Amino acid sequence: MRWLNILRARLRALAGREAVIRDIDEELRLHVELETEANIERGMSPAEARRAARRSFGNYDSVRATAYEVRGGGMLETLWQDFRYGVRTLAKQPGFTAVAVLTLALGIGANSTIFSFANGVMLRPLPYEQPERLVVLDEAAPLRGIDSLGVSFPNFLDWRAGNRVFEDIAAYGTGTFTLIGGGEPEQLRGARVSAGLFEIIGVAPVSGRTIRAEEDRPGNETVVILGHGLWQSRFGANPAIVGQTISLNNRPHTVVGVMPPGFRFPEVADLWLPLALDTQRWTRTDHGLGAIARLKPGVTLEQAQAEMVAVARRIEELNPVTNEGLSVSVSDLRAGLVGDYRQSLLILLGVVGCVLLIACVNVANLLLARASARRKEMSIRAALGAGRWRIFRQLITESLVLSALGGALGLVLAVWGLDLLLAAVPVEFPFWMKFNLDGRVLAFTVGVSLLTGVVFGVAPAWQASKVDLNETLKEGGRSAAAGAGRGRLRSLLVVVEVALSLVLLVGAGLMMRSFLRLQQVDVGIDPTNVLTMSVSLPQAKYAEPEKLSAFYQQLLERARHLPGVQAAGAVSNLPLSGSRWGRSLTVEGRPVLSVGEAPSINHAVITPGYFRAMGVRLLAGRDLNEADAKDAPKVTVVDERMAREYWPGESALGKRIRFGPPENNEPWHTVVGVVGEVRHERVDAATRMTVYVPHQQIAVRQMTLAVRAAADPAGLAAAVRQQVRELDPDQPVTAVRTMEEVISSAVWQPRLHALLFGVFAAVALILASVGIYGVMSYAVTQRTHELGIRMALGAQKGDVLRLVAREGMALALAGIGLGLLGAFALTRFMSSLLYGVSATDPSTYAAIVVLLAGVSLLACYVPALRATRVDPMIALRHE
Amino acid sequence: MTQQKADLLQGTLDMLILKAVSLGPLHGYGIIQRIRQMSEEMLSVEQGSLYPALYRIEQRGWVTAKWGLNETGRRAKFYTLTRAGARQLEAEEASWDRLVLAVSKIRQAT
Repeated sequence: MRWLNILRARLRALAGREAVIRDIDEELRLHVELETEANIERGMSPAEARRAARRSFGNYDSVRATAYEVRGGGMLETLWQDFRYGVRTLAKQPGFTAVAVLTLALGIGANSTIFSFANGVMLRPLPYEQPERLVVLDEAAPLRGIDSLGVSFPNFLDWRAGNRVFEDIAAYGTGTFTLIGGGEPEQLRGARVSAGLFEIIGVAPVSGRTIRAEEDRPGNETVVILGHGLWQSRFGANPAIVGQTISLNNRPHTVVGVMPPGFRFPEVADLWLPLALDTQRWTRTDHGLGAIARLKPGVTLEQAQAEMVAVARRIEELNPVTNEGLSVSVSDLRAGLVGDYRQSLLILLGVVGCVLLIACVNVANLLLARASARRKEMSIRAALGAGRWRIFRQLITESLVLSALGGALGLVLAVWGLDLLLAAVPVEFPFWMKFNLDGRVLAFTVGVSLLTGVVFGVAPAWQASKVDLNETLKEGGRSAAAGAGRGRLRSLLVVVEVALSLVLLVGAGLMMRSFLRLQQVDVGIDPTNVLTMSVSLPQAKYAEPEKLSAFYQQLLERARHLPGVQAAGAVSNLPLSGSRWGRSLTVEGRPVLSVGEAPSINHAVITPGYFRAMGVRLLAGRDLNEADAKDAPKVTVVDERMAREYWPGESALGKRIRFGPPENNEPWHTVVGVVGEVRHERVDAATRMTVYVPHQQIAVRQMTLAVRAAADPAGLAAAVRQQVRELDPDQPVTAVRTMEEVISSAVWQPRLHALLFGVFAAVALILASVGIYGVMSYAVTQRTHELGIRMALGAQKGDVLRLVAREGMALALAGIGLGLLGAFALTRFMSSLLYGVSATDPSTYAAIVVLLAGVSLLACYVPALRATRVDPMIALRHE
Repeated sequence: MTQQKADLLQGTLDMLILKAVSLGPLHGYGIIQRIRQMSEEMLSVEQGSLYPALYRIEQRGWVTAKWGLNETGRRAKFYTLTRAGARQLEAEEASWDRLVLAVSKIRQAT
């Protein structure tokens, strides 16, 4: 209650300052009048009585001021005064204000940018019902260190039946679907989902219904649910769409529902069909599905994990051949979705925090320099009765005004920076990742700005408020004792600033070096002048394998005859494009390995001409050719690594392997060639061995064409498209990219890291050199007198130059030393982001030390040079 | 005035003001008069320190202030003791009594 009274009084005082003062005045006047009357009664003359009353009252103005302060004239009023005064002072020094605000805006803007990105990825709640209870399940092979194998359908059914921790589990797989009718044939990304998926996620369709259990059976799966975006773009938001039939993959499907706007699951699906898998055809070794589940209320992730490990063990006991060594991993939905962003975001937040700290140090330095110029003002205020706390408070308010301006400008920079950042990230974000300035970003920016104002304002304000009237008067225009103290603080700040920049520069150096290394990696192909595009033939139209083979064969034949084309081929999973495919295989004469033990092998189906188009080196044997047809002897080509691992010390040529689980008894394929290793999954590491099989012998629906041209292949896209259209007018072509683009987007993360680190480190370097420069020029100005005497006594220009530069370099070197310690301690946190360079790479450290020392020297040199131009006569008269 | 004046002990002003208004609403001048009266002219509150103290007490909610007319018909601000003020007065008087008792015990000790 009491604080409420006080607050009310303060607000009243702020709003009606005049009224409060009038009130006090009236009360005090009455008092004096009554006292005067009493005095008259005691026999004084009226004039005497009034004088006596005044005298006995004491200092009227002081009483009035004290009374006003008690009545709420305090805090808020002072704050408002200080604020207006601060704004006026800052407006009077536009140069200083602009530099300080810009510096802060850079620091705060960088922080808000990275934070809004992190906010979108890590903080925003997922748009599902109680998302914290949603988990993703996957099969894992702990013995082989694999935690994401993909789920097989029979295992999924057993999980669903055998657990007590989930409300339900659903499985899904992604796929592409060709939609025909009402315009251009369109290839859409969709998902096949088991009945119950929508209920688990907790999102209901806006019209129609979800998938029923009986539709999730082979033969009944001719229903489809549309995404809201697709419904609007392709069907003009037709409200009567539910119940109509559309053609997908050349088969009629009945639309049964439309999902709400913004709904997508998995990340990139536009439509949903029943999973409807056949347990006869889909065995326990066919991994590849995803699974999502909802925890029962009160069940923790750990309990679910423990339960599922037990379930997996029971399945393993019943199915030792297929499930040996297999377990289940249960992970939080968001962790599963954003896994690898997390660490780099945290590191980036650290980096921008560092930039902001440097900005603070710089502004603090500016304020200290300014404080020297304002000492007269402070002395006058102190002489007029302002206490130290009062002056301190006023200076802090000024700092807060600065940081608020910096924050506002920083927010503008953040909007712009976020756009740039998003443009630099080539991946398609999951639909739920939204990046905009929401309340959280705003609150973050305001918080950071306030904190910033206090951080850079406290030390200078404390120093400046330490006004010793005697000292100031004695010192006259020059500074001595207090000036020296201020100088020490400024020097310390420069040391800190240089140290922080060194840490950032080393980080940036390591990132860039790592990125350059990555660029030089031989991925096993020659991407120059190669154009790629995807074609996916629908089941209904191309049911037989022969039809598939014939289509690709004809298309490639036509492509090879286009002008400028040197070679053309096709592959089922393009290297570095993110598509993965694996199958288990058996080597003739070797023991059969269980899924848990067998290494995962990349399985690529290719057409003749692929190796030449892609520039894959043939090391032994022969390339695949048109003669390796369906009825010809089954053949295969393996990569160098597989040849080495399976047939060490002997030739792989002539050896035989077969695909699929052993009990399937698929035909043996003879190895006819060995090619160089191609990095299929990651640029920075060889992950899996690869085996290549001819398309004519194992036909695949979706292939990616690779066309090698003599020159820039971008112009070829239209011509190849035309060939596709001539073969089948209903057939869409997707993902048209040059191979260089494919590789470049595979390393977007290291590139972005190098870019961001580089930009932030450059900002740090500029700020640090400005800091050194500022301190040195100040020091030179302070010492003009001394330098004049030295020169009058015969000091040469070189002597003065050395004298001044030495002082500055001492600070820089101290900062570099401190920074090296910091860098050694901190860069190891980023070692997981580095490729081919250690976190303590000596040459990077050496290069950065030289760079920073050089820039520091330059920043010292300019003021030092100015010092040598001092005219002794003028300097001595400078008193 | 032959009587000797006593110095006002720090911290007792609040208690005296509360005591003064406990007998009925008073304006600032009246409070000073009342205190002088009650102390039989031994204590005189400095007028300059009365008003800040009075405003502080008002903010703490121990008295309420209201403009009214005094005996000669002039506008004056009258202060009235609140219930919280009465409790505070009681507490301060008790603590004062304890202090007086303690100090006199010390003085009588041999």
